[in-house]
Amino acid sequence: MNKSKNAAFAYSFLLPSALLTLVLGIYPIAWAFRYMFYNYKGYGTARFIGLDNFSRILRDAEFWNSVVNTFVYAGGKLLLSIPLSLLLAAILNRKIRGRQLLRAVFFMPTVISTAVMAVVFFTIFNSYNGILNQFLIKFNISSSGIDWLGPKHAMLTVILVAVWGAVGNYMLLFLAGLQNIPEDVYESSSLDGANKIQQFRFITLPMLGPVLQMVIMLAIINALKGYESIMVLTEGGPAGKTEVMFLYLYKLFFPVGGSAASTQVQEFGYGSAVAFMSAVIVGMISLIYFYASRRMNRID
Amino acid sequence: MRTKEITGKTVLWIFLLALAFVTLIPVVITILGSFKTNSELTTGATFLPSKWHFSNYAEAWDQANFSTYTMNSLIVSLSTVAGTLLVASMAAYVVDRMDFFGKKIYVGMQSFTMFVAVGAVVLRPQFDLMVKLHLHSSLWGVILILISAHASIFFILLSFMKGIPRELDEAARIDGSSLGRTFWTIILPLLGPGLGVGALFTFRGAWNEYLLPLVFTMTKPELQTLTVGLANLKYGISAASQTHYMMAGACLSILPILIAYVFANKSFMQMTAGSLKG
Repeated sequence: MNKSKNAAFAYSFLLPSALLTLVLGIYPIAWAFRYMFYNYKGYGTARFIGLDNFSRILRDAEFWNSVVNTFVYAGGKLLLSIPLSLLLAAILNRKIRGRQLLRAVFFMPTVISTAVMAVVFFTIFNSYNGILNQFLIKFNISSSGIDWLGPKHAMLTVILVAVWGAVGNYMLLFLAGLQNIPEDVYESSSLDGANKIQQFRFITLPMLGPVLQMVIMLAIINALKGYESIMVLTEGGPAGKTEVMFLYLYKLFFPVGGSAASTQVQEFGYGSAVAFMSAVIVGMISLIYFYASRRMNRID
Repeated sequence: MRTKEITGKTVLWIFLLALAFVTLIPVVITILGSFKTNSELTTGATFLPSKWHFSNYAEAWDQANFSTYTMNSLIVSLSTVAGTLLVASMAAYVVDRMDFFGKKIYVGMQSFTMFVAVGAVVLRPQFDLMVKLHLHSSLWGVILILISAHASIFFILLSFMKGIPRELDEAARIDGSSLGRTFWTIILPLLGPGLGVGALFTFRGAWNEYLLPLVFTMTKPELQTLTVGLANLKYGISAASQTHYMMAGACLSILPILIAYVFANKSFMQMTAGSLKG
């Protein structure tokens, strides 16, 4: 068959996908890459200002506050969700009754909209008239309820909501990894008298190594870049207590009423620089984790 | 030994059931709450509704505009599914079966868009672009952008495509079938299972999408989807008196996907587990 005719066919089939990806996927990133060197607020002409946006980032206390919050949020989410999902996977990999049903139950939160559940969690955790506080008061656990979305507990609340949505996903990924460990390794080790905890420590964990490493990597990236749920639940408040990096970035492009004064105006140029900086921070953390976990594997 | 085993089992089951309870309770609260009055929801501290108010749904549907939101969500999700499957399966076909210049660049580009995390910044140029194309005052802008993010579906279909024997293409070619006809009449039907999982995943993503329709329909309530309309209830001035609408609206958004999940939870889970190997 004619070779150039084949190539023409291939390109014609590739065209819709390639065009959409280039125009709506790659071009916007290039756009940000250009405007991070400009002073541009969405109106008038954009003015080239070199690296001024980046020196502004260094002085931007609100941004660094959001970076610290991102670390607290991501750290809390990981510390709770990874061990919990690993434990669940280890249990539900065994032949216990109803394990299919339990897997489906734990995975359920991942099919529901984060934004919709954030609205629901708002009505549950709302400090005034919230459903949870109604019950705490009714059963005399707390006399006036707990200020779940207040300055003291808001971060904990958004972390718990994030853990609720994430555990099932990581459990399933761990389960996929566990299914690659041959059954007879467990059988022969239990003949040798190993108990379940020893089996977990000396068989499951080492053999799950690469999968564990990959899932944690995925979880780190997800935790660092997530903000949708926080946006709906607390809008970053109160007083910036739950404002994470990517939420701050969002507000620079789409100012939300009620947020801190400095983000009331659109900042396309500065926002692009913040986006670049945030992407670099996520990339750096992932790289550090990648090398650190590889070293740990070697020591093992 | 025997009692130790029984205690162990009991602890295990208490743990599992407690976690299952915590996982399910927010959804149960939403479903039961959608039948309560606003005052019962905000002060009642009841589990089951004292009286079942089915009228919440009728009111949310008519007065709180949920009929419009639901229609918009359906239009966005179904169009995105159709577009994504078409675009991604065509690309997967030529990438798997043919050799041409630029193939590696194309695949590289797809994986690049999957891994770069730059957040909301891309929404701005995307919006400006749609304004220039006059697609910002309809849902087509949202749909096109959702279709453009088809990298993961492309890779999924690519792995399914590898499972279809090449001998079939050969046989079709010898019978005089053109490449295009081979794709539409032979490959696409055999790609069925892959398209099914792809559809499920694309639908879930589009149906649950919040930020993109939010940004595009901020000043156009008649174009808002369920997620956007619902979250707006929370910000509204009368939010405190509309908790029952929030719950009914949340149910309208959750239930279709939950029903699909009840029937196809194995496919949903297979998909996630499969992404680990891909």
